[in-house]
Parts: sequence; structure tokens; C-alpha cells
Amino acid sequence: MKEMWEDAMLEAFHETSRRLGLFLPKLLALITFLVLGVVVGWLVKMLLMRVLSAVRFDAFCERMGLMPALARAGVVQPASSLIGRLGFWTVFLVFTLMGIDALSLPATANLMSVLLEFLPNLLASAFLLLCGILLGNFLGEAALITAVNAQIQEARLIAHFVRWGLYLFTGAMVLTQLGIAKEIVVAAFCIMFGGIVLALAIAVGLGGRNIARDKLERRLHRRRTEEDELTHI
Amino acid sequence: MMASQERVDAPWQQIRAQLPQFERADIVVGFPSFNNAETVKPVIEAVMAGLRQACPDASVLLVNQDAGSHDGTPELVKGAVEGRMSVALLHRATRTATGMESRLSGAWPSGREEAFHSFLSATKESGATACAVIDPAVRSVTPDWMTWLLSPIMESRAEYVAPVFLRPRYEGSLTNMLVYPLNRALYGSAMRYHAGGGCGMSGRLADLYLAQRFWDERAVRSSMDICLTTVAIAEDRSLCEAGLGEKLIQSPAGGDDVSSVVAQTVGAVFYFMERYQDVWEHRAQAQPVLHTGLPYRPQPDRGPINIDRMMRGFRQGLRDLLPIWEIILSPETLSGILPLALIEKDEFRFPPQLWAQTVYDFALAYHEKVLHREHLLKSLTPLYLGQMASLVLRTQEQKPEDVEVCIEELCDTFARMKPYLVERWRFS
Repeated sequence: MKEMWEDAMLEAFHETSRRLGLFLPKLLALITFLVLGVVVGWLVKMLLMRVLSAVRFDAFCERMGLMPALARAGVVQPASSLIGRLGFWTVFLVFTLMGIDALSLPATANLMSVLLEFLPNLLASAFLLLCGILLGNFLGEAALITAVNAQIQEARLIAHFVRWGLYLFTGAMVLTQLGIAKEIVVAAFCIMFGGIVLALAIAVGLGGRNIARDKLERRLHRRRTEEDELTHI
Repeated sequence: MMASQERVDAPWQQIRAQLPQFERADIVVGFPSFNNAETVKPVIEAVMAGLRQACPDASVLLVNQDAGSHDGTPELVKGAVEGRMSVALLHRATRTATGMESRLSGAWPSGREEAFHSFLSATKESGATACAVIDPAVRSVTPDWMTWLLSPIMESRAEYVAPVFLRPRYEGSLTNMLVYPLNRALYGSAMRYHAGGGCGMSGRLADLYLAQRFWDERAVRSSMDICLTTVAIAEDRSLCEAGLGEKLIQSPAGGDDVSSVVAQTVGAVFYFMERYQDVWEHRAQAQPVLHTGLPYRPQPDRGPINIDRMMRGFRQGLRDLLPIWEIILSPETLSGILPLALIEKDEFRFPPQLWAQTVYDFALAYHEKVLHREHLLKSLTPLYLGQMASLVLRTQEQKPEDVEVCIEELCDTFARMKPYLVERWRFS
């Protein structure tokens, strides 16, 4: 009885020791990957911030209206800092996944390869999103200034249409790129965009035909109007 | 450099191909034309009579650069000269300029800068002492124009002669309320910056212009008059203003978009502020400019001025462009502008100090690139309309000369507030 108890104890001890012996290096590998992730991530972050600062990326984003848009959403950090942080977390995530992979857990098997396969789509989507926001802000601002200078009372509405139209378009592109509900997104976007264009066409056709005719006449015949009673230079 | 030399050589090669015997000219007269059949003959007659009167012994080369007229303007130019002078007809090589760029030229088509470049090249290559550029669309050209534009150069009294026209008191208001006061405060020259019609320059100055970089700058090349005048002032060349009387245009330009005019004109001024920072930082005290020709005095209005439209533009800007102005203007400037929205039309006044501060803030924002530059420049339009409405409301019941008093007051304010600009510019 005693021998059996001793054998059971020893066997359990050896088995646990063996398992621990097998698991500890993996745990160590995970910790090493986490530490490396923090260090490499920090280096990447610093490098990105330096490069972006050297090319005056913050000023560019300010000019393109990205920063005011983010400020309105409560984000007050400079764009270079945001991208630096994004770089840090991306690198850290990659290293963390490598660490988890090193654990060889059945539940996380192939996680790394699946995520790595998805990474290009993720990066392309992030790039699309950034470009879409920048373009939306830029064109929205241009539309606002042009409409105000033309003394169109609905200037802000027009600018919102332009900005949100671009955001909508970008959102649809991003979701398509990510492969999320592709068919629904494409169908919804087509219906919405087509609807807006049709509504605008009907509105202009019915309500604004006189304005359009006046504008065209003025452009074609260079008729003198109240706008050009003075030369400015 | 190579391309630049080719650009200088190309018009001269065209001229030599048309006039193989031609070697040297004392004076080059340039005509940048576009559909000017109606006016070109009397203008050529006036110019030739003026040349006989001003410099009877000089050898003259007339250069016409046409931007693609459909009414046979170049042939009419040649016919009008009737072999009495050497004349060369140049055509635009490429159509690079856009319709937008042509806006400022008014009666002139796009490619005006290209024509100017050709005239300057011809001046350089022919070794001419002077060059005059005359707009064939101006019906009021008289023989005296040539005397007034060329004599100061031929007599070595000036290197650049700019026109001053007799015009209604509120005409050229952007020039009078922004370009003139700002450049006078910056460069210390009381040049009035009237645009178009005609100008004169020495051969040496033509060489300097050809060596400038602004020919390739899309932002400024459509404001040729501002470019030429500012470079001459900043480079410390001797200047003269020629009072040419009224400027009556063949068919006045209509439908010009104010914001495009503002963006192009103010953009050119700000461009040169960046280029000549070392010059304007140290210049003070406006120097008077030599005057020849008819004395300048503002004329009565030609028609009613639509103040309501200006006020509407200003108020809408204040309502809709505030987020943009918050980026451009300093908090003190903005806090001065905001209460103006509450003032009734009859009491509405845009104080000169606030206007100067506004313009300086825009110049600083342009320099710091806080916003896309075209957006920044166009967003100045409502403020300019507010300032213009204020000037009209203040002086409409007064004599035309009183507008000049207001402009002089603006000039003093801009000069007094120059340290505000210099301090901020240095630390930006």
C-alpha cells in the first residue's frame, strides 16, 4: 500500500516535473517575446515618430484637417504620436502572438498563421481609412470655403454631404477590404449612394433648374452681374 | 538651367527666323494679344506715334505674342505696322495654363506670363535698353503712354515704370486695402500696384526678371504685375509711376470669382514675403516714388455699390468659416472680429488695426502652412468683403478723395503694426 502510494506520488511528481520542464521554456519564451515586443515596439515607435516629425507629418495632417477632426472626437495627440503608438501595439501584438504560438496550446494552434494572413488586409484597410479621412476632410473644407464664398446659405450642409459621402465611401471600401459582410456592404452602399445621387438629381432638376440656367447663361455669355460691378485689383 | 536657357532662346529663334536681317534693337515693345481685332489697330497706331515722339531715333522691335485668337489679331498687328517697324509674331508653344490662371489677367487670356517671358527674352537677346509691354485690349492707349513709360528708362531715371490709372474710388479695392498697404509697410515703397494696361522696364531689369524662379511657380505667375513690381522694389531698383489716365478695356472681364482673385493676388504677395524675408524685415519708412504723366486722383463711382452683398458675404463667413479662422487667426484677432457680426449695417466698421492684424495673421499662417494654402487664401475673402463694406459705408457720402485718406490711414496702421508681424514671423 505504502509502495503504491510512493509510486503514485513519485509518478505524479515526475510527470508534473516533466510537464513543467516542457512548459517552463515555453513560458520563458512567451515572457521573452513579450519583453522583446515591448523593446522592439518602443524602438519602432520612436523611429516612426522621428521620421514623421522629420517630414513634418503633423503639420501635413493639420493642413489636411485630420487633427481638427480628431480633436472634435476628443483625440488631442499629434498624428505622429498616434501612428507611433499604433506601430508599438502592432509590433507588440505580433510578438505576443509569437509567444502564444510558442506555448503550443491546442486552442491557439495556427493562430499566428491565420492572423499573419489577415495582416496585409488589416494594414491596407488602415491605410484606406487614413486616406479616406484625409480626403474627406480636405474636400469638405474646400466645399465649405467655395460655398461660403459663393454665398450659398447651405454651405455647411454641402460640406457635410461631401465629407460624410467620402467617409461613407471609405467605410464601405474598408469593410470590403476586411471581408466583413462583403455582399451586404456593397449592396447597402450602392442603394444608399444611388439614392442620394437620385435625390440630389431630382432636387436640382425640380428646384434648382432656374439657378442652373442662370449660372450657365452667366458662364457662357459672361453677363455682368452684381458680383462683378467692381474690379478688385 | 538648361531648360531655362532654352526657354529664353526659343522666342528669339522665332524672331530671327522671321527677321533674318535683324540684329539689335534699342527698344522692344510687347503686345500680348487674344481676340483684340477691335482695338489692336488704334493701339498700334498710338504706340507707333508715341515711339516717334518719345524716341525718334531709336530702333524698335515690336513683338506680338498671341494666345490663339480666332479673329485674326496677329495679321491685323502686322497690317497696322505696314512695314514701318520690325515686327515679329509669336504664337504660344504649349497650352499649359489653365482657365483659373487666366482670371487675374482680366482682358488678357491665360499664358500672359509666357508672353511676358518672350518679351523679356527678346529684350535680352536684342540688347535693348528698354522694354514696354502694352495691352492691345485697352482702348484708351495714347501716344503719350510711350513717353511716360519709356522716357524715365531711356533717361536712366528709373528701371521699372508701373502704371497708375484714373479709376473710380472703389475700383481695385483689394490692391488699395491689402496689397498696397502691406507691401508699402514691408518694402518701404509707395508704389500703388495698379495692374495691367502697360509697363516699362530697363534691359538690365529684364535680365534680372529672366533669372527669377517665379516663372515656374504656378501660385504666382498669374499675378505678373505684382511679381514684376515686387521684385523691382525688393531688389532695390529705381522705380517710377506713370499716370496713364483712364484704362478703358475692349470688353471688361465679367463674372470673375472674387475668392480666386483674392487667392491669386494675396498668394503672390505672401510668396514674395517668404522669398524676401531678409529684405522686408529691415526696411522701414516708405519712400515716395518718382511720378510721371497725369497726376493720380480717384474718380467718382461708375455705378451703385452693392454693400448688402458684401455684408452678407462677411456675415456668412463669420457663421460658417469660424472653425477655419480659429486655426488661422490669433485669439486676439478673432475676439476683435466676432463682435462685428452683431453690429447693424449702418454702424458697421472694420477697424484698420484689426484689418492689419488679420492680414498679418493670414501671412503668418501661410508661412507656417497651418492649412492647405489655397484654402487659407480663399478663406480670407469674407473678411476682405467686410473690410470693403466698411470702407464704402464710411466714405460713400464723402468726396472721392476721402477714400485716399482712408487708404493712407490703412498704410500707416500696417506700418505701425509691422513689429507684430516681424516678431511672430521670426519665431514661426
